[in-house]
Amino acid sequence: MNVSATQPVPVDGVKPRAGTRFTGDPLFKALVVATGIGVLLVLGAIIAVMSIGGIPAFKAFGLRFLITAVWNPVTQHFGAAAPVFGTLASSALGLIIAVPLAFGTAFWLTALAPPMLASVIGMAVQLLAAVPSIIFGMWGFFVLVPPMAHYVQPMARHLFGHVPGLSALVSGAPFGTGLLTAGLVLAIMIMPSITAVMRDVFTSMPTVLRESAYGLGATRWEVMRQVVLPWSRQGVVGGIVLGMGRAMGETMAVTFVIGDSNHIGWSLFAPANTIASLIALEFPESPAGSLKLASLMALGAILMAISFVTLWCSRVLLARGEAQAGKRS
Amino acid sequence: MQADTITAGQDVAEASRPLAIQVRNLDFYYGKTRALHDISLDFPERSVTGMIGPSGCGKSTLLRVLNRMYDLYPGQKATGEVLYDGQNILAPGVDLNLLRSRIGMVFQKPTPFPMSIYDNIAFGIRLHERVSRSEMDGRVEDALRRVALWGEVKDRLQASATAMSGGQQQRLCIARTIATRPEVILLDEPTSALDPVSTARIEELLDELKTEFTIAIVTHNMQQAARCADQVAFFYLGELVEVDSTARMFTNPRESRTQDYITGRFG
Amino acid sequence: MSPQSLTRPVSGKSRSRAVQRRVMDHLATGMSWCATFIVVFVLGSILWTLIKNGLPGLSLTLFTHSMGAPGAGGGLANAIVGSLLQTGLAILLGAPAGLLTGIYLAEYGADSALARTVRFVSDMLLSAPSILIGLFIYMVLVAPLGHFSGYAGSVALAILAMPIMVRTTEDMLRLVPVAMREAGIALGAPKWRVTLFICVRAARGGIMTGVLLAIARVAGETAPLLFTSLGNSEWSLDMQRPMASLPVAIYQYAGSAYQDWMQQAWTGALLVTMGVLIINIVVRVGIRGGRT
Repeated sequence: MNVSATQPVPVDGVKPRAGTRFTGDPLFKALVVATGIGVLLVLGAIIAVMSIGGIPAFKAFGLRFLITAVWNPVTQHFGAAAPVFGTLASSALGLIIAVPLAFGTAFWLTALAPPMLASVIGMAVQLLAAVPSIIFGMWGFFVLVPPMAHYVQPMARHLFGHVPGLSALVSGAPFGTGLLTAGLVLAIMIMPSITAVMRDVFTSMPTVLRESAYGLGATRWEVMRQVVLPWSRQGVVGGIVLGMGRAMGETMAVTFVIGDSNHIGWSLFAPANTIASLIALEFPESPAGSLKLASLMALGAILMAISFVTLWCSRVLLARGEAQAGKRS
Repeated sequence: MQADTITAGQDVAEASRPLAIQVRNLDFYYGKTRALHDISLDFPERSVTGMIGPSGCGKSTLLRVLNRMYDLYPGQKATGEVLYDGQNILAPGVDLNLLRSRIGMVFQKPTPFPMSIYDNIAFGIRLHERVSRSEMDGRVEDALRRVALWGEVKDRLQASATAMSGGQQQRLCIARTIATRPEVILLDEPTSALDPVSTARIEELLDELKTEFTIAIVTHNMQQAARCADQVAFFYLGELVEVDSTARMFTNPRESRTQDYITGRFG
Repeated sequence: MSPQSLTRPVSGKSRSRAVQRRVMDHLATGMSWCATFIVVFVLGSILWTLIKNGLPGLSLTLFTHSMGAPGAGGGLANAIVGSLLQTGLAILLGAPAGLLTGIYLAEYGADSALARTVRFVSDMLLSAPSILIGLFIYMVLVAPLGHFSGYAGSVALAILAMPIMVRTTEDMLRLVPVAMREAGIALGAPKWRVTLFICVRAARGGIMTGVLLAIARVAGETAPLLFTSLGNSEWSLDMQRPMASLPVAIYQYAGSAYQDWMQQAWTGALLVTMGVLIINIVVRVGIRGGRT
């Protein structure tokens, strides 16, 4: 706006009025712009601090840091491969479990539920999203771990232990903690937000489209499968990727149930570590300036890179989905 | 050439009055789209100028040029001259806040601010003047009395303005505008969202206000223009087709397009 | 057409097709019901576990005594107060910054390149791993000063609260009708006054919602506090020193082997969850009922 870009010229013959000469507009604009730039600086500083903090680790181990699976404080030998594997594997398991649940719930909420029930359950799902992550961790540790150790893994070993190709997936001692348990807890944690996104994109579809599909005699499932899903595909994928971003960065829920072991293996039941859980567990014993701390910072930088790329993808997909919805409706 | 004849006709009708605003060869653009073509129009002091025409004809656009409301939006541009108080208000460097305090505006839908009735009026006054508490009370009461709202709200001045009825809200907005003591009031279809009773009250109000203010009103309602305006300007497709005294315009328009619109053949 | 032809398809082929379609529909909707049931069951299980394990530990001592050694009969008073202090300061720091940024995005930046970048970065911060925020604050506020502190914890939480405020402020300001802004401008008000005294006022209900959601979000955060305010078993109101917080206390106690600590962890978890859920319910019911 060019309101006070130049020295204001008074309109002639006006009664003198106080307080109109200086409007304060440039000042206020400068303030809000500065705050906005401050937000950029915060992220810039986070990236800078992580990267700089991690440099000693890369100096010591080179790029092999990325592919080394060792994490040994005694020999001062550290590598990122195990926690990176744990992060990706637990998040992938979480997604495999969460997506069908979220889709089923979103389908139910938008197409099947009686209106009263839909608002109550919809609210319940929203509330689940608000529960602090440490609660999921505790719940997972005390409620989920015992049956995992006593029933799920023994049963899985009984069923698949002798099947070639599958036996590796179920091997190991039955601790109850491990990748699958972490995946389950993560699934429960990210399910609500994926459901919320799916529900939003499903309901943003114009009613006429839905009604005309029903008008052709399509069943509820056919409308969902052949009309709603194709129509909202990008938004749905965006929501899933958003959930994946959350899962990879989650700390507390995972730390309780992952089992704390820097190990790469096939077994779903083997204890592991994610980047975030390793940082939470190892940081207290990492003195300032140590190689271990630098390695943790380097892991932090890797985690940030991974999660920002994922979040960026989800933003792009969701924005595209929205633009498409706007164009078609 | 057309502009000349229009000004000539107008001069005959309103020769006696001094002019508050003179629009000269005004063009207006929304981006690349030209919305007003070479408009020249005079607004005589202390009288009501009605602006009529079908939707999209540019009458509201002209109104928004007069207080430079278009400045809010990048890409909108006006060229030509709008003379007010001897100065071209389209020129750069005009103090817009001051200009808008002298040329007030009332909108299509009532726009009460999310604050009390009292504060709605006081907001405008405080912007431009430092007044004592007791003087402010007097100014608020005066403004509310002039729009015949005082009796209805004097016991609940601190109540939220958004809880009033639509007609009351619109009168509040007019009160808010006149409380800043402008010289010109622009009204953009001020009654289109109101019921007939509220509309009648606003029209009565205009009749009183024109003894003190120069008024420009955009309206869709032909009867309203006939009832309230002293002179009427007819716009069509961004052009000013004809302007004349209300009586002449509705009984004996010079242009056939005006005739067609007034008799309801289009628009 | 006889009424029967609606229920009974004409040819054999379309009959099997219709059966197949109906089976598929029942299968899909059935699975959908199952998924919803599982979700509700899990939510119920979490709440039930919290209540069953947390309620027995609810006592006055919990609110009057600081954390103590196992068996010493301590409470969680210092953790509760620590959480309140750190959350409060985090909101005091994060909310104004978020509000101003939201104002910038809605009223000034619009669709400029800078505004798009700020919006994007704010969204990034909204879902950034919170433990990294803690690590960051450790590097810039804890390590250089040489000690953990409640202030550091608050700043870490403020970084998490800010993007929530940015998002809600921008969304809510965009709901304010253009006519309201123009009416302010038409009175000759400078833009900043229109923004602060008209638009923000009009959107204040929604902006308050943002504040509440931000409180609910940061009050339950553990990870960013582990390396910033660290935790403290003693009563302390000094924010320059390490400070206890409910989530960190829960984390420490839940991993312990002592019966009474475990009990307090559950009760603390119940308190945090109830607080967060109540705020969320108030916000959501408020949105549905209150605003026009």
